[in-house]
Amino acid sequence: MTTFLQYTLSGLAIGGIYALVALGFHIMWSAAKAVNFAHGDTLMIGAVLAVLGVDAGLPVWLACLLSVLAGGVFGVLLERFAVRPFLGGATSIGWMLTTIAVGIMIESLATMQFGGFSRPLPSPGVAKAVHIFGAGVYPQELLIPVVAILAMLGLRALQKRTLVGRAMQAVAHDKRAAALMGIDVNRIVAFSFGLAALFGAAGGVLVAPVVQASATMGALIGLKGFAVAIIGGITSAPGVVLAGLAFGIMEKFVEGYISTAAREIIGFSMMILVLLVFPQGLFGKREVLKV
Amino acid sequence: MRHLTLLGFLALAAILAAVPVTASNEYELRLFMLFMIYGVIAVGLNTLVGLTGLVSLGQAGLFALGSYTGAILATRAGFDMISASIAAAVVAGLFGVLLAYPTVRVRGVYLAVVTIAFGIIVENVAIEWQSLTGGTTGITSIPSPNAFGVRLSGYAFYGVLAVTLFLATLGTHNLKTSRYGRAMLAVSQSETAARALGIDATGMRTLAFVVAAVTAGLAGTFYAFLNAYISPDIFTFSDSVRFLLMVILGGAATTFGPVLGAYLLTYLPEFLQQFALWQKFAYGALLLIVMFALPRGILGTAGQFLKRLRPPARGVDTAGAIPAEESLKPNARAQDAELVARDLTVRFGGLTALSKASLRVKGGEVHALIGPNGAGKSTFVNTISGFYRPAEGDCELDGVMLTGKKSHEIARIGLSRTFQNTELFGDMSVLENVIVGCQQRLSYSIVDAVLRTPRMRRQEAEARRVAIGLLAFVGLEDYANDEARFLPFGLQRRLEIARALAARPRLLLLDEPAAGLTTQEIDDLEAMIRRIAALGISVLLIEHHVDLIMAVADTVTVLDYGQVIASDSPAVVQDDPRVIEAYFGTPLDLSEKAEAVA
Repeated sequence: MTTFLQYTLSGLAIGGIYALVALGFHIMWSAAKAVNFAHGDTLMIGAVLAVLGVDAGLPVWLACLLSVLAGGVFGVLLERFAVRPFLGGATSIGWMLTTIAVGIMIESLATMQFGGFSRPLPSPGVAKAVHIFGAGVYPQELLIPVVAILAMLGLRALQKRTLVGRAMQAVAHDKRAAALMGIDVNRIVAFSFGLAALFGAAGGVLVAPVVQASATMGALIGLKGFAVAIIGGITSAPGVVLAGLAFGIMEKFVEGYISTAAREIIGFSMMILVLLVFPQGLFGKREVLKV
Repeated sequence: MRHLTLLGFLALAAILAAVPVTASNEYELRLFMLFMIYGVIAVGLNTLVGLTGLVSLGQAGLFALGSYTGAILATRAGFDMISASIAAAVVAGLFGVLLAYPTVRVRGVYLAVVTIAFGIIVENVAIEWQSLTGGTTGITSIPSPNAFGVRLSGYAFYGVLAVTLFLATLGTHNLKTSRYGRAMLAVSQSETAARALGIDATGMRTLAFVVAAVTAGLAGTFYAFLNAYISPDIFTFSDSVRFLLMVILGGAATTFGPVLGAYLLTYLPEFLQQFALWQKFAYGALLLIVMFALPRGILGTAGQFLKRLRPPARGVDTAGAIPAEESLKPNARAQDAELVARDLTVRFGGLTALSKASLRVKGGEVHALIGPNGAGKSTFVNTISGFYRPAEGDCELDGVMLTGKKSHEIARIGLSRTFQNTELFGDMSVLENVIVGCQQRLSYSIVDAVLRTPRMRRQEAEARRVAIGLLAFVGLEDYANDEARFLPFGLQRRLEIARALAARPRLLLLDEPAAGLTTQEIDDLEAMIRRIAALGISVLLIEHHVDLIMAVADTVTVLDYGQVIASDSPAVVQDDPRVIEAYFGTPLDLSEKAEAVA
């Protein structure tokens, strides 16, 4: 029972990170039918900059805030210079490779600045573990899934209540029609990429105290975030959050009972299987092909 | 261009032969051999990326699969390098089929993620399955290269690699210029049109995946023998990116581009070493520069430049062409094609687009299907040509059931169509578009294609003559070498008709062929439809243009709200009160209908 609870709680923590990353993929995909393929590196930027900020003597909260904002700026710039020139092309090879290229460059820059090793971000959230029915977790870990769910609810409120949110939905539905209604589609897409990057960088700041920040931390988390987005259905925000949390829990159990290699095998096989059976994901909307 | 290709192959052979003689030390030779291994992967991947337009970011996984298969067979079962590499190619090929399966459902970025996931799975299986793969330590003590029990010298191994690279380049080039390569290009440019011409899109994508997988498997075994040691961390995601970059940098869909790309990216790390810490950064920057400055790759851009410098003649000589009257002659069959649709019902969610629509196109007649916007005309066309599945009802052509068959199978039975929004293969020339339509006339096998056998050449030459004849039939022979997307709109419509005819239809389905045409063009179209009908091909014409219908149609069927409301000769239909009502309404009925809708 304790083991079960332990795995579930730590699974929810890492799952919350996947959910935040996947939420970013959802936002980008909705706006542009394109994503930052190196979105994991946005998460890395958040984590690494926060650690560097603390190094520079900033208080933890300020370092975190600034690094999340920097992540957002990165998202906007990336959309403008790496994604937008390739939108509307016949294939997705263009923006896929340019964002991968930017990812490679960012990662190598981070390695140079940060060194090739991992460092934890100091946080009050990991000062002392709490025990719930014998399972030990840090308050930070409990915080992560809560933030993921709040982010999803916040996104929903944004889409329902604000002008920019409604514009995002209009663009997601039909770019041309949105443009004809006077919506500046490019700005909405840029805003979406910025918002997605904010979520990603926030995920990095949240996870850095738990798993340690490093220049290479983003790659695998980013890929898993995309896998989660596909499993949950990239068109559904609640879907990807739910899938993210479930994926995290699944991972902890497989890791605990078998091995880390088996964790990757099972996780990614699951993604392929879901895609074959439900091409639009478990909770996604079907996109009708018109001849 | 053809001379250039020949020159390219001679140059490649010369370089491959010269390098071992001029290499100053073993390290240089070894690096060149590594390049040849990468070259084999790249030319295979080019078939997938360049021709079918699919992205694989899991090529390192297939490479690893080949490497491990070869290494395990060599160390455990005593296979020599040749038999091990063949076995590895077969294993990798089977996984290629497996990887191609998801393309039935997903494309683009989803497919890319599937291939990435595949690469990660292979890497982790190699770590986890320790008893077979040695886990993280990998497989050591791979024997030195050997063939048929004889140990190969360094130069002999070099020879094997050089011959493999040369043959792989030649084979994929031949495939590209055959009906298979053309079909792959067609599928990537307009899958809908390709399927309507009888091309099995899934089959073509599977073939491309298998080619890419087999070459990666072969290369993997050679790599294991070259390195004498393999471990899971050699085959990572960044290698997959590198393989893809080789193709894009050199020029996707060009014959020698991938080889050039593989060469550059094998030697680039050597060159970048001087940047020390900035090495990886420079690599990313290069990728970015290529995408912006040379999206078509080095040879792709060079080829375009050459074309602009010395443009080919626009038209084509029609001497020797097989006239349409001959190529479209019905092959000894008893009757003209008769299409019967019975009670077709199609629903989209809650909307019933077609409700028990029945129609009979008598053999050899021109049958017009008309109706106001939203009446269900396009749904009808898409249903009989196999793009939509009806909820109820069925249709058959000369007693052969069409319902339930895939669109490319229906096309092969003898139903060809054009599209309301033209669906040309935009990057292909006008003539090539029509040759794609000839696909079903070509029966040579993939072996014929790769080896360029006389059988293949004879059939290709004939298809070309048929295509030129059809271009002359629609009056496009003077535009034969233009790229299809640059044709004026009216001519694009004619090209679509020529392409549909190339598939040798017994029933031709024209979906709003007059939309957007000028009066003069409509007159030409009218004459063309008559000429087509005179060849014994039944025509189902979906049209708005009343004058055209009255002039050419033998029978007119009217659809309204998904139901057939009239079907008779043009003169009778024209005076049918229900038809008039459907188009114009009557004051009395207008209010009734408004109530019904509400």
